[in-house]
Amino acid sequence: MPALNGLLWLISYWLIGEVVIHFSGLPFSSGVVGMLLLCATLGVLGRVPSSLAAAAQPLIALLAMLIMPGVVGVFFILDELAGQWFAIIIALLLGTLLSVITTLWLLQRLIGRSDAH
Amino acid sequence: MPTDMLSTLTATPLFAVGLTLAAYLLGNLLFKRLRNPSWLPAILIAALLLAAALVAIGLPYSIYQQGASWLTILLGPATVALGMPLYQQLPRIRELWQPLTLCLPIAAALAACYAIGIAWLMGASPTILASLAAKSVTAPIAIGITEQLGGNVALLMGALLVTGVVTIPFVSVVARLLKINDERIIGFALGLNGHAIGTVRAFELSPTAGAFASLGMSLTGIFTALLLPLAWRLIGTVS
Repeated sequence: MPALNGLLWLISYWLIGEVVIHFSGLPFSSGVVGMLLLCATLGVLGRVPSSLAAAAQPLIALLAMLIMPGVVGVFFILDELAGQWFAIIIALLLGTLLSVITTLWLLQRLIGRSDAH
Repeated sequence: MPTDMLSTLTATPLFAVGLTLAAYLLGNLLFKRLRNPSWLPAILIAALLLAAALVAIGLPYSIYQQGASWLTILLGPATVALGMPLYQQLPRIRELWQPLTLCLPIAAALAACYAIGIAWLMGASPTILASLAAKSVTAPIAIGITEQLGGNVALLMGALLVTGVVTIPFVSVVARLLKINDERIIGFALGLNGHAIGTVRAFELSPTAGAFASLGMSLTGIFTALLLPLAWRLIGTVS
C-alpha cells in the first residue's frame, strides 16, 4: 500500500508542524510548516518517493472538495454581515484590480529588464 | 423532510460526507455541461447546490459542518502535500530568482494591503479586515492564516471566490493595456492574485503560464502565511 505509506508521511509532517508551533509560539499554521519541511526533505533526498506521490497527488486533486464545507458557510452568514457587504465587495474588486496592475507592471519592468541583458 | 428521519440520517457524519461528495460531483458535471465557464467555477456551482440542499431538507449549517469535519480534517495533510509540487518547481525559481524575489514580497503584501486598506477606510469591522486579509492566498493555507488572525472562515471563502473569479478578466484587460504578451508574467500574475482559480485559468492558456501561476500561487501562500500573522500581531500590540 504505497499510498498509505505516503499518507503517513503527510500526517507525520503535519504533526511535526503542530509540535514546532506549540514550542516556538510562532503564529503559523501547522500545514504550512509541514509543507516547508516536506519540501526541504525532498530537496535533501533529491527526488520524490513514489509512495509520497501516490498519496500527495490524489489529495491535492481533492482540495476543491475539502474546502467546500467552508465555502457553503458564506451563504449562511449573509444576514450577520448585513450593512457591511458594500465595503467588502468594493474592497475585493478594487483591491484585486489594483494588485493585478501592480503585479503586472512590476514583473514587466523586472523580467523585461533581466531579459534585455 | 420529517424531523425523525432527518435525525436518523444525521446521527453519523456519513450523511454530511455523502452530501458533500454528491454536490461536488454534480457541480463538476454541470460545469462540464456548461463548457467550463471561467466566471462560474465548479466549486461555486457545487457550493450553491449544497447550500440549496441544506435549506431544502432543513439541516442547520452547524450540524452539517460537524459531520463534514470528517472531510475537512484532511485539509491538514493536503496542505503538507503542496510541498511536493513546490519542490518540483524549485528549478524554475532558480531560473528567475532575481525578479521574483523583488516582485513577490511587494506584490503579495500589496494584494493583502489594498483590500484591508479599502475595507478599513470604508469602516469595516476588525473581524471583516481579518477575514479579507488572506483573499489572494490558496484556500488550504488561507484558512490557517484566517484562524490565526481571528477572522471568519466562511467570509474568507466568499472573498477567495470573488477574488479568484475577477482576477481572470482583470489580468487579461490590464495585460492588454500594458502590452504584455509574456506568458510567464501573465501566469505568475494569475497565480499570485487569483490563487487556485487563476492557476486553473493559466493552465488553459498554456503549460508555461500554468507552471508560473502555480509558482506564484505557492510563493504567495508561503510568504503571506509566514509574514501576515506576525505583522498582524505587531500592529495589534502597537494599537
